[in-house]
Amino acid sequence: MNRRKFVGLAGVAAGAGYLSMRASKTEDKGPDPGPPGKSPVAVLKAASYDEDLVAKIREGAALCGLDVRGKRVLLKPNLVEFDSATAINTDVAVIAAAVAAFRSLGAADVRIGEGPGHRRDTLGLAEEARYLRGIPDFERMFTDLNRDDVRPVDNFAGERFYFPETVLGADVIVSLAKMKTHHWAGATLSMKNLFGLVPGAVYGWPKNKLHYIGIPRAIAELNRTFRNTFALVDGIVGMEGNGPIQGRPKHAGVLVMGQDLAAVDSTCCRIMGIDPAKVEYLRLASRIGHVRESGIEQRGESPAAVRANFELIHQFRDLRLA
Amino acid sequence: MGESLRQRIDLLLRTQNDDGGWGYFPGKRSWLEPTAYAMLALDKHADAAVLDRAWHLVESWQLADGSWRPGADVAGPGTWVTALGVHLCCARGCFDESFTRGVAWLMGTQGRECNWLARFIGLLQGMSKPGGPDNDVSHRGWPWLRGTTSWVEPTAQAIMALKMAAPHYPGVADRVADAEEHLLSRRCRDGGWNYGSRRALGIDLPSYPETTALALLGLQGRSDAVREEIAHARKLFAGTHSRLARAWLAVALQAHGEQPPAPEDEPNGDILLAALEAIAHPDGNRSAFRVAGGRA
Repeated sequence: MNRRKFVGLAGVAAGAGYLSMRASKTEDKGPDPGPPGKSPVAVLKAASYDEDLVAKIREGAALCGLDVRGKRVLLKPNLVEFDSATAINTDVAVIAAAVAAFRSLGAADVRIGEGPGHRRDTLGLAEEARYLRGIPDFERMFTDLNRDDVRPVDNFAGERFYFPETVLGADVIVSLAKMKTHHWAGATLSMKNLFGLVPGAVYGWPKNKLHYIGIPRAIAELNRTFRNTFALVDGIVGMEGNGPIQGRPKHAGVLVMGQDLAAVDSTCCRIMGIDPAKVEYLRLASRIGHVRESGIEQRGESPAAVRANFELIHQFRDLRLA
Repeated sequence: MGESLRQRIDLLLRTQNDDGGWGYFPGKRSWLEPTAYAMLALDKHADAAVLDRAWHLVESWQLADGSWRPGADVAGPGTWVTALGVHLCCARGCFDESFTRGVAWLMGTQGRECNWLARFIGLLQGMSKPGGPDNDVSHRGWPWLRGTTSWVEPTAQAIMALKMAAPHYPGVADRVADAEEHLLSRRCRDGGWNYGSRRALGIDLPSYPETTALALLGLQGRSDAVREEIAHARKLFAGTHSRLARAWLAVALQAHGEQPPAPEDEPNGDILLAALEAIAHPDGNRSAFRVAGGRA
């Protein structure tokens, strides 16, 4: 077994608990119509990380009507594990560009926070992923959400849950996700990226409690709890196959943005060649956001124009978009 | 005391909160985990008053069911840090009712995979896999939170606590022996430990430095059974850039009779890391994680 497979499998080292984490796929019932009105989602082409990503992010924010003037912005990248052979984490260039873009758009403060699911040395992991070298002043801006001070939030999946103060104090949480397939959820995009908001100091490494709540339900609950969000999905190079860690890099050449995370993830699915109506967490999320195409106002490129079918593992082949 | 140790002790003394505890970072509110490691690191390096203030705070965090809550901001329920509460009881020689209730809570806690339904499902799934089941669920470990699955770190911490408690709490030996078997059954093919499982979806998993170190700490007294794993830990120590990993590996290798070099970097403001690096220092508190006699 090669290094990539080894590293990847770390992410599925879910103890015997994996038995309870079933793949969540097709349900008979389709997505709800969603809230009133339509949600704008911007799809912008970016062939590589060398492009002017600051300009792209500013353009996407404008297309989606995002106003961050005077606001405290928390950037939440997807930092999971490091393997130079594949594309697990939000690329450092996208994070650095997001910092610059949101500052230039008038944010009062821009911070970066992440709470990885397994790795306890978050800063060490950030160093491996080149975040310390690639993002000016990273250490001053960064909060390890696994070890931040916390406050309670009532009625999360029917109980009191604790979340980091950095998260609760943010005016806007930007889910800086990676466009990836996921061997249990079908896809991991901006909504599942919020798993990293849950503090390990309370719930452990991994946050096994979320698995017992149920991955689709936990994703939906996190997104119901945190409504002050904006999604920026790094689909310049995503991951296909046995994601979220051991898959292969897949060039899709896009950044996808929007304030309705369900609409953003549904759009990403369509770009990836996945039918969002068959992804259970999106079906659950259709109560709070738009999953159906009719509820999404696509801006920039149309998903069909940039569609790049991501390879799906055998268990998820029925998710393929017709 | 060497300069490297002095820097870390100074940091810990400077950053004790008014309530007596330590946060994960300076200026942050107190949590049990960094407080426990700071107390262990400062043993013999601080006035008794410093440690007494910390201990009073830790005592106040014990809940009615005997468990400990993880920090100042968390009302409950109690978590894996109960093992650290018991560990501190033993380190301070407090074998009172608080200690007894803490040990009882640990004895009454196990991973959810150990219930009959999970074992039955595991049996069925294992029968259908060419290589057999991914994990042996016949031995009981500990979860991070009650109602969830066993993982290496909370299991190793609970084993250490119960081994320390054993002379003062009869009847823990069988549970400790079973938990040791749990850890041994979860060894990865490469000679270390992953976070919880040795295989997933039928494929072998890689080991990680921190979890390998913690498992070796839990398996003190079983050097005969973990010789290859100790050698693997040496390799991990030489190869990892993670300061946290190096600190845990140094502590574990010390517990198995070796002395890795002291850390050279200055403390970076991470209190938990500074405490562990102080403990791992050649002049640090060698008894912090040492389990006398190994097995309970």
